[in-house]
Amino acid sequence: MNGAQHILQAFHRHNISTVFGYPGGCIMPLYDALVDDVGVEHVLCRHEQGCALAADGYARASGKLGVCIATSGPGATNLITGVANAHRDSIPMLVITGQVPSGLIGTDAFQETDVLGMTLGIVKHSYLIDDANTLPAIMAEAMALARSGRPGPVWIDIPKDLLLAEVADAPFPAPEPEENSHPELTQALAMLRAARKPLLYSGGGVSLANAEDQFRVFAESSTLPAVVTLKGIGNPGKHNPWNLGMLGMHGSRAANRAVDECDLLLVIGARLDDRATGRLDGFAPNARMIHIDADAAEINKLRPADLAIRGDLNDILTALTDALVHRPLAISEWQTQCRNWHTMGGFQAADNEEPLAPITGPAFIRQLSRIAPDDTVIACDVGQHQMWVAQHYQFDHPRHHLTSGGLGTMGFGLPAAIGAQFADRQSTVINVTGDGSFMMNAQELATIRRYNLPLKLIVMDNQCLGMVRQQQELFYNNRESQISLDDNPDFVAMARAFDIPALYIERTDQIRRGIETILAFNGPMLLHVAISREENVWPIVKPGASNRDMIDETRRTSPASKEHIA
Amino acid sequence: MTSQTYISMPSYTLNCRMSREAAALERLCQVIRVRGFRIARMAVESAGDHIDIALTLEGTRPISMLQSQLEKLHTVAEVTPGQASGVQVQTA
Ligand SMILES: Cc1ncc(C[n+]2csc(CCOP(=O)(O)OP(=O)(O)O)c2C)c(N)n1
Ligand SMILES: [Mg+2]
Repeated sequence: MNGAQHILQAFHRHNISTVFGYPGGCIMPLYDALVDDVGVEHVLCRHEQGCALAADGYARASGKLGVCIATSGPGATNLITGVANAHRDSIPMLVITGQVPSGLIGTDAFQETDVLGMTLGIVKHSYLIDDANTLPAIMAEAMALARSGRPGPVWIDIPKDLLLAEVADAPFPAPEPEENSHPELTQALAMLRAARKPLLYSGGGVSLANAEDQFRVFAESSTLPAVVTLKGIGNPGKHNPWNLGMLGMHGSRAANRAVDECDLLLVIGARLDDRATGRLDGFAPNARMIHIDADAAEINKLRPADLAIRGDLNDILTALTDALVHRPLAISEWQTQCRNWHTMGGFQAADNEEPLAPITGPAFIRQLSRIAPDDTVIACDVGQHQMWVAQHYQFDHPRHHLTSGGLGTMGFGLPAAIGAQFADRQSTVINVTGDGSFMMNAQELATIRRYNLPLKLIVMDNQCLGMVRQQQELFYNNRESQISLDDNPDFVAMARAFDIPALYIERTDQIRRGIETILAFNGPMLLHVAISREENVWPIVKPGASNRDMIDETRRTSPASKEHIA
Repeated sequence: MTSQTYISMPSYTLNCRMSREAAALERLCQVIRVRGFRIARMAVESAGDHIDIALTLEGTRPISMLQSQLEKLHTVAEVTPGQASGVQVQTA
């Protein structure tokens, strides 16, 4: 068995059935081995960035390891954005790239780049194979590492000659699971009981730890008022009466107010990112903090914790739930207070009753949320439309909301949706994108067609880089600079060129029909939604300001903006 | 440069034991830089299958923050802090 065949065999052993890749010179031995392998489905995307982001979306939606493959040089560099995206959001990923033959490394050979050196800052770990006999151990270690503790991408760069070299195959024992006991739990409970205004603050770490169910049980049984970060959306479930929604820069007034006033913050699987906390010295000024996370380096990184617990969230949440079930917290006054804030300061957007009125982003997303089936996966892109999804779509599970949180990668949505559809061919997957973001990985329309994926695309077209335009309007004296996209291609014609049917809507009374039509269609379909150019995301915290200083809507979109959508 | 100022920059020593994998040193140096520290002195000694690195570092952020980031590196086996001191650093 050669190195390439061994890699495929390691996939089988670890139940990896789908990989995303693109061939080229130095990785050709692996592609040759694929010809004889029927157990691994290889998805050919149309750009390596598409491969990496599809692997990322696959991992987010399924909880499994995402795998992407590329050749040396330009293949590897094209992967980088997608791998950085996975790194910033702690997504378990295995990256395999071919490298020039061992003897040519360091000679500036054709398509040689120092992949190991170039990617150090965006991987959890990486290897350059220099001896074929180390490959089995490294494959096993890499797959375990990508998934363990705080997950992340692990990159294996392997010279072409070693893909062809004989490998002595020996199965490797799985690493022993960590045994943890948490004496801190008693103190955590004491702090919770002593608090008058405790608040549950959760992030993406909950689903990364596969602790969604246990978190849900804890959130419901503790009856703690809860806020979520962008990546924690869906953690408490959409029917939890104490869920105040997303906090932070585009969070709700209610969520930010609750953080401002709470006296105990119970942080679970979150790293206190600046987009969530705003200016740190104004963040939760009256609160003590319990920080529970899988990554020791996140504890005390930005804000000192009064109590830190590092370990498996499932174990910790189970213990906390058990302790609270017997004696619930007495916090009814605080709960009432939070509910009132939520009623007054939750995300609101009036549905426009005027049938001929132009479509606004929030109204459209609220309709989508009502019409789409319960377990729909929404893969967002980056910009205003992403924030409208976060604010106005009611998610019942964190794995239903795929969003590029840490890196904010435009072009994420379409390949991520492809990955999510491969994770579950039966599920409804919708990519909600903007006119700017859509063009960043539009080549992947060909991948949708090739594999006949039934996924739906919604392009929210405001003819501009809306999120940048908004910040120019609010923070740069409305001096617009390089944000106009009024020469966009005809997205409907573009989709049709890829043999994907498409529909255009621009009026409020067309929303329902538009959404129902694409959802009912048996195959991929694109909905091109013209929305007003001037609409902003409200509320907003100025970058660097405290969340307490949220700015609310200063001006309703005027009908004058209609002319932009003609 | 004629004018010289003396500022007090916190300085720390860290001892680090790591495996001899490719790029182990680069990884270490990169994390030190990205997390806001400068290397004032670095002694590297290889011993068997691992290497020992004695570092003197300068930076204004808490050294514990760097230590926990270094401990996350797969190649790092152990990080032990030495004495903290407010060394006079000469800057031009
Ligand atoms: C790859 C990349 N380049 C640039 C940015 C900066 N950026 C953030 S949002 C945005 C505008 C996105 O425009 P669009 O997709 O049309 O979404 P909209 O805000 O209009 O809804 C830009 C340029 C980014 N996040 N990612
Ligand atoms: Mg736009």
